[in-house]
Amino acid sequence: MMKLNNIRGIKVTKVRFTFYVLRFTFFLLLLTACKVENLTWERIEKDGILRVGLDPTYPPFEAADDGGLRGLDVDLAHAIAADLGLEVEFVYFGYDGLYDALATEQVDVLISALVIVPGQMRDFAYSEPYFNAGEILIVPTDEMEIMEMGDLDGRILSVELGALGHVEANTWGQRLPNLTIQTHNSAAAAVTAVAQSQADAALVDAISGRLALAEHPTLKRIPQPVTVEPFALAVRIDDERLLENLNASLEHLNETGKLNTIIAQWLN
Amino acid sequence: MKDELSASHSSFTIRHSSFKTGLRLLVLAIIFPLLQPAPILITPGPPQTVYSEHPITAVHTRLTDEVEEWKIQRTLQLVREMGATRIVEFFPWAYYQSEDGSVAWEHPDQVIEHANAQGLEVIARIGLTPGWARPKETPLTYLDANAYDDFAAFTAVFAQRYRGQVSHIIIGNEPNLNYEWGYRITTPQDYVDLLATVYPVVKQANPDVVVLGGALAPTLEPAGSPWGLNDLEYLDAMYAAGAADYFDGLAVHAYGLTFPPETAPAPDLLNFRRVELVRQIMRDYGDDETRIFITESGWNDHPRWTQAVRPGQRIQYTLDALRYAEANWPYVETMALWAFRYPAPTKSYPDYYTLVTPEFVTKPIYDEIKQYTGN
Repeated sequence: MMKLNNIRGIKVTKVRFTFYVLRFTFFLLLLTACKVENLTWERIEKDGILRVGLDPTYPPFEAADDGGLRGLDVDLAHAIAADLGLEVEFVYFGYDGLYDALATEQVDVLISALVIVPGQMRDFAYSEPYFNAGEILIVPTDEMEIMEMGDLDGRILSVELGALGHVEANTWGQRLPNLTIQTHNSAAAAVTAVAQSQADAALVDAISGRLALAEHPTLKRIPQPVTVEPFALAVRIDDERLLENLNASLEHLNETGKLNTIIAQWLN
Repeated sequence: MKDELSASHSSFTIRHSSFKTGLRLLVLAIIFPLLQPAPILITPGPPQTVYSEHPITAVHTRLTDEVEEWKIQRTLQLVREMGATRIVEFFPWAYYQSEDGSVAWEHPDQVIEHANAQGLEVIARIGLTPGWARPKETPLTYLDANAYDDFAAFTAVFAQRYRGQVSHIIIGNEPNLNYEWGYRITTPQDYVDLLATVYPVVKQANPDVVVLGGALAPTLEPAGSPWGLNDLEYLDAMYAAGAADYFDGLAVHAYGLTFPPETAPAPDLLNFRRVELVRQIMRDYGDDETRIFITESGWNDHPRWTQAVRPGQRIQYTLDALRYAEANWPYVETMALWAFRYPAPTKSYPDYYTLVTPEFVTKPIYDEIKQYTGN
């Protein structure tokens, strides 16, 4: 009987203890929720202004000259702002200072052809990617046999000397014994070599490649990229509501075709 | 009584069952590790020799943060196969020595043993201050006069331990930048004081080791700048303060930025041939005999960094720079390129200085240098 009482006593104490732990945990969760919910998005909504940081030295994504600020990222920022019912305000920084500007709350978001850097993810969060700047294959429009790198054995592949496309081609060269790699001084020259039938395909970064395609109507790009180098928007790690809204807007722009229109306008 | 017996029996059954379960778990705990593949045994292998038609060629490796031994070995194999005769490597004091004086030698032992096995000479740069040797809430680069003796003592022990294995030791790095002092406001005299403290102790511990004065950062920062001081002004002030007595050779950083290597030097221009202006200051102070060791050099081919060049230019400039240094700078002992490989990608412009990717894929610039050295 005594034992039973003890057991009961322990049980009661356990139940009370569990109850206290649950209450404490709930309180902590409440505190955490309050902390995460910072005021950035509220301030943006109240002012109606989205402050965008960029380094305007990277055409065609962003460039500032006598004609003003223009580029793919500039149009994208305007489109996102319009989608969210906001005005956009651009603030210029050097490439090295972009994340510092974001951390010190001089801007709300960076839209500046930024690659996703895992090392930055402790302090910053990235949106869904909006552009893949990785390596792409460019071939003649009537080429039907080359659909991927594996189809290039016995073919001539042109690349920019020393560029990442060249590194990737060398890696494939170890798997494809009859792949001939032809080097050029620029990505544009590598693409021109295909247009002039000196090479069967070019492996170049998506930006250079798509720009070069505009000058060579006899060429096309293989839709499946060879490598992935995604560009994304960056916000401070705690600005979750802002990030949600930016992602929702990117998704909306993608679904409506607006994102592709902007990309095509600057890269095709 | 019956109930008690029954309870006792059931208690015994539970205990017996628990014992069996525990025993099973114990057996599993013993057997499970034995089922794991054995750790890979890495041995330095037979001693190798570097073949190089241009022995001035060297590289700055980044093995400080490389944890896996096979990656250390693979890196150094690739360095040797490229025809580089020396590596410059960073050995942070802060990583190794505890407050009680004990030193964790495992990692530097690995790096130096594998480098020597590949036939590579090691130029060791010592820096970064342990927490116990600097005030609280100061960065790793903070170093003040209170810790000079401790720094000297560690460097001397390092020099002694690796006698015959490490040929050169660099005292600190880019002392003309405030960052390298943990943003403590310093003057060239502070660095000369450091050299004067460290040099005699290290030479006493290992008379064979060549002590190099730390390379200055090429910069045009004026006096009073919160970032640093013009390297030429700084070097001049170092010599004026008597620095020449406290180093056997001078480390120099020679970056080309956007200029071809042949571009003539000028005091207001940061380019590869700035080395010649450094040399002129050494001559002005009668230090003609002291040799220069270029411990960082090269070009960057990041697609959007304003100080970068195209990848093809980077290859050409690098090869031309090696040729230029060999042909025109008899006082330059070695020319190390920054940087051979990083353990992990930075996803920013530093990646575009490297010769080999983190995955050990050699870049075309590596292949060109390898060909240049006759390999």
